[in-house]
This record gives sequence, structure tokens and C-alpha cells, in this order.
Amino acid sequence: MLNWLLPEYIEDVLPAEAARVELLRRRLLDLFKVHGYQYVIPPMLEYMESLTTGIGHDLDIVTFKVVDQLTGKLMGIRADITPQAARIDAHMLNNQGVSRLCYAGSVLRTTPDGLARSREPLHVGAEIYGHPGVESDIEIHRLMVKALQQVGLSTLYIDISHVGIFASLLSDAGITEALEQELYAALQSKDQSAVRSLGKDLDKVTLDALCSLTELNGDVSVLDEAAKRLPATENIQQALNDLKAVHAGLSDLDVKVCFDLAELRGYHYHSGIVFAAYAQGYAGPLARGGRYDEVGAIFGRARPATGFSLDLRGVVSSLPAIETSKAVFAPADHDDGLAQAIEGLRAEGEIVIQELPGHEVHRQELGCDRRLVKQDGAWIVVVAPELSNQ
Amino acid sequence: MITIALSKGRIFEETTPLLAAAGITALEDPEASRKLILSTNRPDVRLIIVRATDVPTYVQYGAADLGIAGKDVLDEHGGEGLYQPLDLKIARCRMMVAVREDFDYFGSIRRGARLKVVTKYVKTAREHFAAKGMHVDLIKLYGSMELGPLVGLADAIVDLVSTGGTLRANNLKAVEEVTDISSRLVVNQASLKLKRESLQPIMDAFAQVVAANN
Repeated sequence: MLNWLLPEYIEDVLPAEAARVELLRRRLLDLFKVHGYQYVIPPMLEYMESLTTGIGHDLDIVTFKVVDQLTGKLMGIRADITPQAARIDAHMLNNQGVSRLCYAGSVLRTTPDGLARSREPLHVGAEIYGHPGVESDIEIHRLMVKALQQVGLSTLYIDISHVGIFASLLSDAGITEALEQELYAALQSKDQSAVRSLGKDLDKVTLDALCSLTELNGDVSVLDEAAKRLPATENIQQALNDLKAVHAGLSDLDVKVCFDLAELRGYHYHSGIVFAAYAQGYAGPLARGGRYDEVGAIFGRARPATGFSLDLRGVVSSLPAIETSKAVFAPADHDDGLAQAIEGLRAEGEIVIQELPGHEVHRQELGCDRRLVKQDGAWIVVVAPELSNQ
Repeated sequence: MITIALSKGRIFEETTPLLAAAGITALEDPEASRKLILSTNRPDVRLIIVRATDVPTYVQYGAADLGIAGKDVLDEHGGEGLYQPLDLKIARCRMMVAVREDFDYFGSIRRGARLKVVTKYVKTAREHFAAKGMHVDLIKLYGSMELGPLVGLADAIVDLVSTGGTLRANNLKAVEEVTDISSRLVVNQASLKLKRESLQPIMDAFAQVVAANN
């Protein structure tokens, strides 16, 4: 066995990419900070019960598990940070009003996930707790758009849906849970023929509405079309109005907003507007999120909530390389003036690498394009093309 | 650029009229050419010729925007990352359980026998027998499933049947239908969001032909 091989879908992030990931991680957290989102660092692992209740409902099979040697209880390594943030809001902070939380950290998945097809995505996200209205949905949408623009993605597509439409169609028709699961799966693949055959015993209004959902996708005109084709119940009208409000709330940002009413990502715990961001060059969603009211109830306190997260490693994978400044080379020399010059440059943010003796022939590996030289008793920086290996 | 993934043979032949309705004609015949990427009369559309079982994978990862794949292949793949908006009702056949002419399939089930089954469609077969509450041992083969029961490798096969000619020629009989099969249009999820303006007309043209033919 080659003992330096890594498991499948687990990888190192090497310097060039790590620099980009870290740069963008800092930019995103700074952006969240100036919007009033407080940074939290939840633990890598906790008891399974708290990880996979509520919003973690679908996560059981993708969570790596270990037995806690202290209690004998089953612990999971987090596969998503959102349930942890919800737990923190419900039980640790006890704010009566609005809490805004953000986080950045690796999660583990038993199967490869997301754009990078990795088992160790790096999730960066933000959540708002305590506000049920569409205004907080708009705030989260805007923050997600700004975050992706900050990352360097210019042409963004935001795809928005509302799980309340599907949920109210089902509850009005009194559909069983088994059928609900199958209809949900068929709608996720927009498989209208499957919806039609699964729903053959339903009343015509419900069945036609469910079939319409597979076709109701496109620009904002879809919402007017939906008002015509779906039953005019109070819940559905409220949902369509909320979607219109979000559309209006994003109008000043440079993004394409589209709607897809069959998209029910995370239907089991989402309760309102759900959304995902797409961009050219990526074969899947870059960021996703939505409203998940009431999941805090499992932690003892039901709180309205909405938020988004993105896998930074997946996003970085298709970004153009960031031009980073190269280093300044300093010789191995015990000169007080040199030490001072080096510290001066470093204080200005320059990268200065002082040579360690014995590696004169490997200088090109250091990534320097300038060097410190002594001229007329003073150390100055000069361009040094001979140090570059390109 | 729109990339459409197709497999050679029956699916390609039966898709040609659908593509024609969308104003797309291949400039080369895949049976005659050894090229894997075929250009079309439209400079913004190309066809890629891949194995039938690989079509969902190309589309899932966005290497193709659209693809045409049998329901049999899609069920085995699982459909992750794909939309399957349209049943094209082409390349139709049935997936069946078949046994030797002299084998008492239903009698064996009643006796609670644990059957050996050879198939290429392991996932579909597993789900079918699990739904019936039958215990089976599945053996994966890549072709000539009909041989399995004849040489004692298995008691039954799960395979596609269109005319039943191969079964009869090998003294087998179909005893149970697993599911109806036809080809589906599959679409990469991100492509549908990002290239809706160019994909929707193709999908609409396909839908019109399907509606007219059925």
C-alpha cells in the first residue's frame, strides 16, 4: 500500500488554491460582519440526536458516526453547520428578537457532495433567526448575491421557489406520506409522466396543479402564469406574493432572477422560500438556502429562520487564478541594516523570504521576483528576473 | 454551445426525427463515422455519441446539456442532478422477469424459495423483488443474460424484452413485468437554469412531436 494516498474524495488543498480559499473565506466573513452577522464556531462533532433533528432530517445517511467513549452515545461528525447554528440560536443565545449568525468550517460527508464532489466541503454561510416576514428573506438573498459577487462571480442566476405551494396542495388533498415522498421525487426530476401516473387517483384540480409545477419555471412571468394555473387558495396566493416581493427586492442587484416552482430542495425542513444560485461554468448550484421556521422547536424554542450556505472549495474550483504578489528574496546575511529592511517590508505587507544557508541552488523554488541588495550601504529592493522559474 | 448526448443504434435512429423537428440534423452518421463528437447543421449544437449507460453521467456532470436515455438506464443511475421532463415514448420495451420454460416461478415463490437472479439491472431488480418481499441473490452480468438459467447459473433473469424472440429461441418464458421502458429526455439542472432560452425551444419541439405521435 502506498501509505501517503488519501481516501477517495478527500484531498489536500495545496498552496495556490489554499491561498485563494483563505482569501475568499476572510472576504466573506468580513462581508457578513459589516452586515451585523455574528461569527460562531460550532464543534466538529456532537450527539447524533441534535445533528439530525429538524433541519438535519435528511442528513443521517451522509453523517460519519463515532461512539462517544465517555457516554456510550452515538456522535456524528457534522455534515452541515446550519442545524448547529439553529441549536445555538434556540438554546445558547436566548435572544428574544432577531439573531444574525455566520460560520465557516469544514463538514464531512459519507458520500461526495456538491460542486467539488468532495467528502469534505468547506461550508460558509449566514442565518437570520427570529423574523418571519419576507423582509428577512430579501436580506438573506441580497447577502448571498453580494457574497458571490465578492467572490468574483459576475453573471449570477438566482433560482427561487416556495415549498409552501407543494405543501398546501398536498395538505388540501389529504395525501398520504408515502405518496408525498414519491410525488416529491418525481417533481425534483420534473418527471411529469411520473407525477401523472402517481397521482391518477387524486382529484383533477390537485393533479393538474402538480403537473403544472413541472412546467412553471422561467422568468418572473411564471408567477402570473402560476396564479392562473394553480388553485387560488390563500396559502398559494401568499406564497406567490412573497416571491414577487423577493423579485422586487433584488431588482437593483445585477443578477438574473428566475423561478422554478417544482424545485423543493430540502422540502422536509424548509417551510417557505427556497433558493439556489447558479453561474456559467458550474454544473450545479453554487449556494443554496431557504426558510426553515419551526425547526428550533426540537431544541425547545420555535423560531422563524432563513439562511444560505455555500461550499467554498466548490466555488473556488472554477474561479480564475488570483494574481498574488510574489515575494522579495533576502540573502542569508547577519547585517543589522538587512534585518531592519526586512521587517520594514513585512510591516507593509510584503512577503520577504530570507534564505537559509545551503540552498543557493534552489532559490527558484521560493517564488520571488525581487531581491534585497546592498547599494551604497543601504538595502534596497531590485527586480530579479533570475529568481523566477517561468 | 449546446451538447446533446446520445447512444448509437435504436435511440439515435428514433431521435433523428425529434432533432429534425427542432431544426437539428447531424452532419455525419454515427454508424459510418468513428468520430465521437458530431457537428450539426446548427453551429451552436453538437452531438456526442456515448454508451447508453453513460448518458446520465455525462449530463449529470454538465459535460452534456441534454441527453436521451432509456428509463432502464436512468433507474440504475438514480437520476441525481438530472431533470427528466419528457417521456419521448421511443425505444419502447418492457423489463421482465423470465425463467426456463419448465421452471415453476410462482410455485417457487409460494414455497419461499430463495432464487438466484442474473441481471444487468441490479438496482431495479433489487427494488422489484424487495417490493414483493422476495429473497433473491442477484448476480451481475454485462450481457447474454438468457444463458444464466440454461447453464445453471441462476433460476431467473431480469432483462429488457421487446419482441420476446431471444427468450423463445432460448426456451425461456417471461413471467412477470418489472416496468415499462421508454426513452426520456434528460437535462442537466444547471443548464436548464443558465441556458433556458436555447434549450426550451428544443424541448418544446420534442414535446410537440411526442404529442403528435401518441
